Parts: sequence; structure tokens; C-alpha cells
Amino acid sequence: MTILSGPVRVGTPARQRVGRVGLYLALAAVAALFFVPFLWSLITSVKTLPDSVRFSLWPQHPTLAGYRDALTTFNFGRYALNSAIVATVITACNVVLAGLGGYAFARLRFPGRDALFLLVLASLMIPDQLRLVPVYQMVSSLGLVSTFQGYILIKLIEATNLFFMRQYFLSLPRDLEEAAKLDNAGYFKTFWRVMLPLAGPAIASVVILEFQGIWNEFFWPLLILQDQSKWTLPIGIAQFSFAYQTNWPPLMAASVIAILPVLLLFVLLQRYFVAGATTAAVKA
Amino acid sequence: MPRARAGWSQRRKEALVGYAFVLVPMSVFAAFYLFPMLYAAYISVFDWGVRGKIEYLGLANYRELLDDGLFWRAVRNTLQYTAEVVVLQTPLGLALALIVNGKIRARTFFRAAFYFPSIASSAAITAIFIFILSSDGLVNRVLGWFGLPADTSWFGDDRFALHAIVGLNAWTTSGTIMLFYLAALQSIPTDVYEAAAIDRASRWRTFWKVTMPLLKPAHFFVLAVTIIGALKVFDQAYIVSRGEGGPNYSTLTIVLELFRAAINDLRFGYAAAMGVVLFAFLFTVTLLQRRLFGNSEAS
Amino acid sequence: MKTRALAAAGVAVALLAAACGGGGDSGGQAVAPPAEASGNIVLSGWGSSPAETALLKQVVADFEQKYPKVKVNYQPVSGDYPTAMLAKFSARKPPDVFYLDPNFAQDWIKQQLLEPLDGYIAKTSFDTSKFVPQLVDEFKGQKDGKTYGLPKDWSPLAMFTNTALLGQAGVSPPKTWDELTAAARKIQVPGGKPICLSPDWARALAFVYQNGGSYFNDDKTQVTLDSAATKEALSWYVGLVRDGLAATPDKLGSGWCGEALGKGKAAIVFEGNWLVPAMHDQYPNVKYEIQPLVAGKQPANLAFTNAYGMAADSKNKSAAWALIQYLNGPDGMKVWTSKGLALPSRTDVAPQPGLEVFADQADDSRPWQFPAGFSSVLTVMGNEITSAMQGKQSVDDLVAKVSTAATQALAKSR
Repeated sequence: MTILSGPVRVGTPARQRVGRVGLYLALAAVAALFFVPFLWSLITSVKTLPDSVRFSLWPQHPTLAGYRDALTTFNFGRYALNSAIVATVITACNVVLAGLGGYAFARLRFPGRDALFLLVLASLMIPDQLRLVPVYQMVSSLGLVSTFQGYILIKLIEATNLFFMRQYFLSLPRDLEEAAKLDNAGYFKTFWRVMLPLAGPAIASVVILEFQGIWNEFFWPLLILQDQSKWTLPIGIAQFSFAYQTNWPPLMAASVIAILPVLLLFVLLQRYFVAGATTAAVKA
Repeated sequence: MPRARAGWSQRRKEALVGYAFVLVPMSVFAAFYLFPMLYAAYISVFDWGVRGKIEYLGLANYRELLDDGLFWRAVRNTLQYTAEVVVLQTPLGLALALIVNGKIRARTFFRAAFYFPSIASSAAITAIFIFILSSDGLVNRVLGWFGLPADTSWFGDDRFALHAIVGLNAWTTSGTIMLFYLAALQSIPTDVYEAAAIDRASRWRTFWKVTMPLLKPAHFFVLAVTIIGALKVFDQAYIVSRGEGGPNYSTLTIVLELFRAAINDLRFGYAAAMGVVLFAFLFTVTLLQRRLFGNSEAS
Repeated sequence: MKTRALAAAGVAVALLAAACGGGGDSGGQAVAPPAEASGNIVLSGWGSSPAETALLKQVVADFEQKYPKVKVNYQPVSGDYPTAMLAKFSARKPPDVFYLDPNFAQDWIKQQLLEPLDGYIAKTSFDTSKFVPQLVDEFKGQKDGKTYGLPKDWSPLAMFTNTALLGQAGVSPPKTWDELTAAARKIQVPGGKPICLSPDWARALAFVYQNGGSYFNDDKTQVTLDSAATKEALSWYVGLVRDGLAATPDKLGSGWCGEALGKGKAAIVFEGNWLVPAMHDQYPNVKYEIQPLVAGKQPANLAFTNAYGMAADSKNKSAAWALIQYLNGPDGMKVWTSKGLALPSRTDVAPQPGLEVFADQADDSRPWQFPAGFSSVLTVMGNEITSAMQGKQSVDDLVAKVSTAATQALAKSR
């Protein structure tokens, strides 16, 4: 069992097998536990509305009406497209800016670096509810309300991503940079040719987290993207909630559909989370 | 060129590149975070409404805050919540990362399964949890199968409501923490483990003496980010208690009170005072953490 | 060219003179009669149910047909309405016409976010006498008495009873408090309780009023909650739970009592007209009846309403007023209430058949509304009554705590 990324201890084959089976059972149980609520939304999405408000493990009359309603009641395609646009642009910006910034904070020396990094940390500490009015006023005075640019502008770079990249760069061994410096490579070249390839896992993480964050975000898009034609998926999905009732089947159906792109992205980027990728890059 | 001058111009070049790399991020943070915070600090000494300044108050908002029973209850709840959720989700996330980092079958499947709760929208998840934790919901039914009391209203009982939110958030955040640690684990070169094996170190010792210290930059990040996030908890408390912070004030959080002062009472100055107090506290906590974990680098 | 310009100028001057001569509250803007209004305006609000949203769109379409020069952009807010509105108010670019909830209306009025409507009402001779008077009063500024909103619909509380469960117990719908208690003793609800009671002053207060209690004095300068009448009423309310005849919704696996009725976990609940569409959509198989609220010593009920208001920063107040007077006029309101999802707030629009039980309560209904700056008191009220209904504190303590919080808030807002 190589749980702790160490070398395999040799035990008797039978004991090892029992241990492995036990591990997989435990993992499956935990995975099931993590999965249950999603399973619940899947089941609810194929129920009828009266059926969905009561507890039952299986729909009485399974129907795809929820999915039909989800896709036709409001402009699902439009909202999905809007979400895709803002999520892609914002994620790309974040990867570039967090990468450059994180590297600078980790490896470059410039006066006031530590103070500026405190500014990065401080940005994490300000609740959205407190920033709401000044930020909205700024976006409004720039005439960017109801535009993608306005929303993208305030999300251009998030402190979490920059912080994360910095920590990751800090944990990389220094010898690679030293080697690059001896080759008299410029700072950007060192960054581009040496550090960035090594930061595969970190960048993959930022891509997953930022894309997922924007894809599911409700608060700022609601405030800034007021025009119905600019709405993103979460706002659209919220249309199924009303003051005294929630139209669960289409809401769950839409949520199920909305999860798929993020899940796909996650699975596709897993190849960057392979042990030894870093070492291989180093040796290259 | 004399060596000294070469050194100086090299350092200047490095500094310029450094500034160039951080220019855009710093501008964004300054505009959308620092400026609003300074604005909040400014208006916190006024009676400030939607239309702007109403009256200069000096420290009256802060003095009122000291006497505000609801606020201090919120502080207590928020601190309790933070301690519980961080202690629960951080080891869980790390454990999951270690497991899915190893050579197990169907690794990608398990990684996706553990990350799943973090993918779904928080509104959908909260709604699901309310349903599952209702007095005739799934959890109680399962408890009933085991002969345990099966009629607790989890979100309606002041003994359990906050803990239920802890469970909910730990469940959704542990996947994200897993992802962070998973990335960090990739930066540990495998020869480190090979060296440990050569030294005949046990797996447990390897973990504590080698892996954990090498994860220090990740620890600092995870703890800083999750503690800050926990102290700002709002969404679930708001949804579950319908904005009331009940039952019996048990789900009142700092940001919930801030929100109420700003949005319901339209007392932006008072809300800003709360924000300043929260910020000061967060800043202190993070600085303390920095002292503990430092600007560690891999050796 | 020149003559036309002069004529236009003449009209403008005339209008301006008329505006300035009349109610100076029109903010110096010329008040064009609705027929002359033109331009784009934004209408905003929240959605209570899908059917309601569709109905509103129809009313707006009817309005645009009648006033072809005005284009209405309907932008509902899904999610947190006050937050979204506050952001827009602070940027001084709010929607022109929007929903007003009485419990933030007074705060918005106090901060001068709303346009006084008296001038427009006078200029266009809009008849406000047909509205249920206490509803209009809710949207008058507490300090200046000006009208800032016109109620678009309303509902009091009624008693909804599950026909089958009452039938099985051989009980007819109770009419008084004592009859309610007696009926509850006979009704059997498997897996539930006979009555669902919300831990909410927006229900309990109706019974306090029925018992002769009160919250404020007439000019709202004093809190008069702490009285024997109040404590007696609340003891009865809380006592129903203590005696096992009632339960709060969360104990019945529900988010609110309407859900409890729908799931068959309660036989008697107290809700307003809003329960009707919810039952229809989610629990269509449950047969229920709507009865008048049980009566105490004196008839009393709570009125829940919403209004249309106009932004003080609206750029097109004439068109905004044209929309408001249509939505609140007999034609608009007739369409809006035609499906029975809402009750007309005008007495010259008849409610849908079957809803008279609500409309009849108009005279006895008192506004569910608190002065500006009361949000912390509402938090205290909700938490304390929940505690009392969970048996965790006495009614005396409940009343004392709420009284204290309310008195403090009243003093602060002065």
C-alpha cells in the first residue's frame, strides 16, 4: 500500500490483499458518502414537482420533464454560453497573473515585496458584503454595469490564486533556477522555460478552482450582470426558486447539467497531478 | 563593467522585473480591495447612509459595537465555528490528498468523487442538506434504522444548528483542500522518498519527518485561507436561519450581523465599523500564523 | 421649425408651471399626464411563483398597449432583493418602479431613496380612496406623512384546514380559541400534530391583538407590548405546543407551515393567500378549506402587503408614474388578481370567487410593519419566540426581552 507515497513494505501477500480490500471498501464508503447528496439531486431531477417535495428514494413516475423545463423555461443555452465566456476569460487571466505574481513574490527580490504581499493577504480578509457598495459604485461610474468587462475586471486576479502560486513556487527546489541563471537566462525566460513547466500541478489547481468558482458564482454576477441577456447559469437556476415554493425538478436538472463541464475539466487536468511529473521535468 | 556596479544594476533589473510582474495584480487588489477597506475605515466614524454622509460620530459606532450583544454573540459563534470547521476539514483534506496521491486503482474516479461536493453550487448543496437534515429527512431515517432517536430537527435545534453548518462546510471544502495538498505533494521530488527508504525510515516516520515539513508552504496557505474563509462565513448561516441567526442566536455570524446593519438598517457606517474590527482580527491572526509557518522554502 | 420649437417650449413651460404650482413634491420635474408619457423605464421586483411572474408580464404588456410610447424593461431580481436594490441606489441608477416591502419601506423612505407620489396623485386625479386605507398608510413616511408607495395587493391570515383529517375526527372548523383547542384534542394526524404554529410574531401578533394586546401606542412613540393581555395570548399560543396539540414546522419536517399542511403533517395552519398557489403546484392532491382566522376577544388580523414605489433618482418619473397608476389602477389590478394568486388592495376590484374569506378581514387587519431601524429587533423577536416555543424560556421573559429591544431601537431611531 503506497498511501504515504513511500516505498512498498513487503508483508505476506494475504495480509496485503486483505489490507487492500479493506482500504478500497473504506474509500468506496467515503466516496459514496460524498456522492449521496449529488445522487439525491439526480433522483429529484427526474421526479414531478409534487413528488419532489416529499421524501422518497425513487420517483413515483420518473420523467424527464425537469430537464425539458430546465432547458426551455429560460434561455439555458444563452446562460451557459455567458458562463463559459466569463469563466474561461477570468480563469485565463488568473492563471497568467497569479503565475507571474506568485513567481515574483516567491523568487524575485524588490523593495517593499513583503509589504505588498501583506496587501495580497489583506485582500482575502475583506468580506464581499463590505466591499459591495464601493465596488459597485466604481463599476457603475466606469459605465461597466451589465457588461462582461465589468465582471471580468473585478475578477481579473484573486488573492487566493496568487497566494497559492507563491507558496508552490516557494516549495520548488532552488537548484533549477540556479542552473538557469548560470545559463544567463533572463527573468521572463527563466519563468517561462523553467518555473512554469514545473508548476503544472499548481496551475491545474488554479484552473480547476477558478473555473469552478466563476461557473458557480451568484453574488457578483447578480449585481453586475443585470441584463437578462448577460445572465450566467447560477442566476438562471435561481429563477426556479420563488418566495413560497421551489420548482425542484428543473432546478436540480439544471444543477446536474451545470456540474458536467467542471467535472470534465477536473478529470482532464488530472494528468498534471501525477507524482514524479515534477521530478521528470527537473531531469529533462 | 566593475563587479559592484554589475551587482547593483542586476538587482535593479530584478526589482523592475518584480514590479512588472506584480503590477496588474497589485492594481486590482488596490482598487477593489484596499480602496474599499480604506473607504470602510473612513465611513466607520460617520453615521453613513445610502446617500452618503449623515453625521460625524467619532468613535461612537465602535462604542456602540462594544455594547452590541448580538455582535458579540456573533463573534463567539464565528470563533467556535472556525475552530471546529478548520480542525475537521484540514486533516480530512490532507488525508484524502495523501490517499489519492498514492498508487491506488481508479485513482481519478476517487479524486473526482472526493472533489464532487466542491463542484456543485453552494445554494444547491445547502438546499439538499436542509432536506437531508430535516426532522423526517434521510439522516434521521438512517438513525432510525439503528434505533437511535430519529426526530431531531438538526437546523432547528440550537444545540446542533451551528455544528450542522460546520459539517456542511467541512464536507464541501475538504475536496478543495484535497486539491491544494495534492498539487503541493507533486512538488516533492520522489528522490526525497527514495532517500528516506534508503535510510530505512518507516512510512509513518517518513510522513512526519519528511512529507509534513516539506508541505509547510502548503500548510500556511491552507490554514490561512481556510481560517479567513471560516471567519467570514455567511451564506449557509443566512439560508439556514432565513437571516435571523437562529435558533436561539446559535447561527448568528459576524458577517451576518454586518450584512443586516448594511442592508436592512442601511447603517453603512456601523457595518463598516464591524468590518474594520473583523479585518483587524483577521490580520492579526494571519500575522501570527506567518510567524509560526514563516516564509519557509524547501531545502 | 421655429413655430414648432416655440410650441414645444410653450407646452413645456405650461407643464412646468403646472408642476410647480401644484404639489412641490414632484421634485421640480414636469408631470406629464400618463397619456403623454414616453421613454424607457425599468420595473423590478421579486417572483413569488412562476404563475405570478407570467401574470405581471401580461399586465405590463397591457400597459404598453395602452401607452405605446413607453417601453417597460422588466428586470426581476432573483435572490437577495434588498442587497441588489441597495447597490443600485448607492450608484444612483436604480430601477424606476419597483416592489416595496413595508418592512424596509420606512428605512428607504428615511434615506430619501423614494419619490413622494402625492404630487402625481393630485396632478392626475388618481383616486386613492378606493384602496384599503391602512395599507396605504403603511407606505406613508412616518415623519412627513407623504405617500411613497401604493399597495398592489395584500393578504390577511386565514385558517387552512385539511378536510379529510377534520372529517375523520368528526370535527367542524373551529371559530374561537377554545374551539380550536378542543378540536385539536380530537384530531389525529399520523406522524404529525393537529396544528402547525410558526415561531413567528407575524402569526402570534394577530392573536395578541385579538386578546386586546398591542405592540405600540397610537403614534408609535412607545412600546406597549408588556401587558397581561399580551402574555395571556402568547401563553395560549406557546401552550398549544407545550400541550402537544401543535408543533413548529421544523419539527414536522417542513420549512414552513404551508409545507406541513401539504405533506399531511398538520391539519390546521394559519397562512395567507400565498398558500393557495403553493398548494396547487406542489400538493395538488391535498383537499383543504379556507376558514376565517379563529377569533379571540375582539376581531383582529394582520395585513401583509407590498407596494409599487418610484425611485427618487428615476430619470423618467412621468413614465414611471404612468406605470404605477396603471398597475395600481382598477384595470391593471383586475388582471393581476385574476388568477386568485393575489388579493386586490382596491375595494372596487372584486377578489376571485372563494377568496372572500380573506377580503372580509380588511377592516380588522392591522399592518405587519415596524418603524425604521427595527431589523435587530426582528432578529431578537424571531429568536426569542422560537426559544419560548421550544420550552426554553417563559413567556414573561420573552415579552420582557422583546419589549426592551424594541424600546431601545425606538429611542435610537429618534
